Amino acid sequence: MNMTERCLSRRGLLKIVGVTSSGMAIGRWLGPHVTMAQEPAHGKGMESFTGPGANSHWNSVGPYVTEPQKVPLILLTDRPVQLETPRHYFRTAFTPNEAFYVRWHLEAIPNAVDLKTWKLQIEGNVSKALALSLPELMQKFKPVSLAAVNQCSGNSRSRLQPRVPGGQWGNGAMGNAMWTGVRLRELLDMAGVKKGSVLVQFQGLETGPGPEGLGSNLFLKSLDLGNPVLDECVVAYLMNGEPLPMLNGFPVRLVVPGYFATYWTKCLTWIRILDVTDENFWMKTGYRVPDTPRGNTTPEEVKAGKVKTVPIERLPVRSFLISPDGSSKIPAGMNVTLRGIAFSGFGRVNRVEVSDDGGINWMTAKLGEDHGAYSFRTWEASWTAKSPGRYSLAVRATDEKNNTQPDEPVWNPGGYLWNRIARQEIVVGDAS
Amino acid sequence: MKNKVQAFFLVMGGLVIAAGVVYGQLKKGYYSPAELGSLRQPAPVELLSDSSYQAAAYPVPVVDLTPGDGRQEVQIYCNTCHSPRYITMQPPLPAATWEAEVNKMNKTFGAGIPEDSTRKIILYLEAHYTVENRKQ
Repeated sequence: MNMTERCLSRRGLLKIVGVTSSGMAIGRWLGPHVTMAQEPAHGKGMESFTGPGANSHWNSVGPYVTEPQKVPLILLTDRPVQLETPRHYFRTAFTPNEAFYVRWHLEAIPNAVDLKTWKLQIEGNVSKALALSLPELMQKFKPVSLAAVNQCSGNSRSRLQPRVPGGQWGNGAMGNAMWTGVRLRELLDMAGVKKGSVLVQFQGLETGPGPEGLGSNLFLKSLDLGNPVLDECVVAYLMNGEPLPMLNGFPVRLVVPGYFATYWTKCLTWIRILDVTDENFWMKTGYRVPDTPRGNTTPEEVKAGKVKTVPIERLPVRSFLISPDGSSKIPAGMNVTLRGIAFSGFGRVNRVEVSDDGGINWMTAKLGEDHGAYSFRTWEASWTAKSPGRYSLAVRATDEKNNTQPDEPVWNPGGYLWNRIARQEIVVGDAS
Repeated sequence: MKNKVQAFFLVMGGLVIAAGVVYGQLKKGYYSPAELGSLRQPAPVELLSDSSYQAAAYPVPVVDLTPGDGRQEVQIYCNTCHSPRYITMQPPLPAATWEAEVNKMNKTFGAGIPEDSTRKIILYLEAHYTVENRKQ
């Protein structure tokens, strides 16, 4: 048995061989090819918070936690639950349900739903109000499937400078799944939207202890009835071919392809047609972005009260390097595969480029299978660093509408719409 | 003292009844204390073939709030709607931002924190969670 396989700490080893000072002696004793690490790295945890500078890690820095129906994910908050997906789960185009990130707004979220009594209700300004059971949704309507990225509006909020309050997400508040369910349009048509209606409002099962009428009591979102995205929306009862985890919205969740997750109501139970505008907090105050290019503004302009805002909508184009992740050295001269994902809420990603000099020179990456305009698209590129040193790998994507990721940061008080070109430092070691 | 005890039971009783009436068929927002850094896997839950689809309680690990004046008020009032992890998760924030956050809880979200406690909570956050003084 090789000594290095025995999981001995250096100190323990020192005790056994009775050597007290000479690391050189141990190195020689182990043979010329292996040496013990300087200090065991385990036991040293990530810092407990980042700031006031930007979070420099790919993910947020919280501890791992195991929530019901989930693998260990990164804890942002526990009540209500907010969990981030660790980087390595993004190697594939579809994010596993058990690793899919979680973001709730209000404290009382379901632990259980009784399908004997649960009904999806379509009500309000309609000709015939409906209450449909899950079997009715599954049997009365032709199922449709669609791959779509669900990304939190505040994904990467911890990159902003100056930092803003809110969920301090790294990059893992996103996921892609194959969603299967009923077209929203079919449900609306069956209920019959009356003339003069302006909005469709969505409400799920979460509630908060706040007073009625306030955002701390109900989480309500709405879309204009004239918005063409309604034709693409799906009320999904399957996520990657499985029932949704409770934390991701069992029994059904709204899928709004290309739009930020704030509209993807979890445990969707009420679909309400309104003939008035939606004045509730989550539309009128929350989840709004400056009506400027990229939603960009400054703290000074906000303070001066100059910023006109609009509800957040589509996902700007983004791309990520998933592996290598910078946690290991790469020997010089080794040909490695760079892997990652890209997406856009404005149309298919049709170009991904990578750079190993921080964004000066770019080479085109090979795109993976096309799962549809709203899906993650995997990419890969082969890379060899000839000499040891520190390399800044950058990746940028372009979609079919010719939107390309910019290299400028974005700032707004909500911490939304971050899509700057991401960089990863990779250390290449001497191989001889 | 007696009045306070009576008020407490009245409020608690009211909450239980309200919760029971509104969503009889749903078990909502059920959380249980937990430890962080545990390597133990959760045991699988027992499943029955009835119509209730249930997940285990959502774990709530203890939050390490910096000791100091006002911590108790934070634990009482902030906890009504969210765990104090909402505080420790934040980056160090300017004092004015903390003040605005607490005021938002009262004005926008109707937290109804009494004025003296509101003041204490703001001072506590400003004393431990800004760039100048945040340690943990």
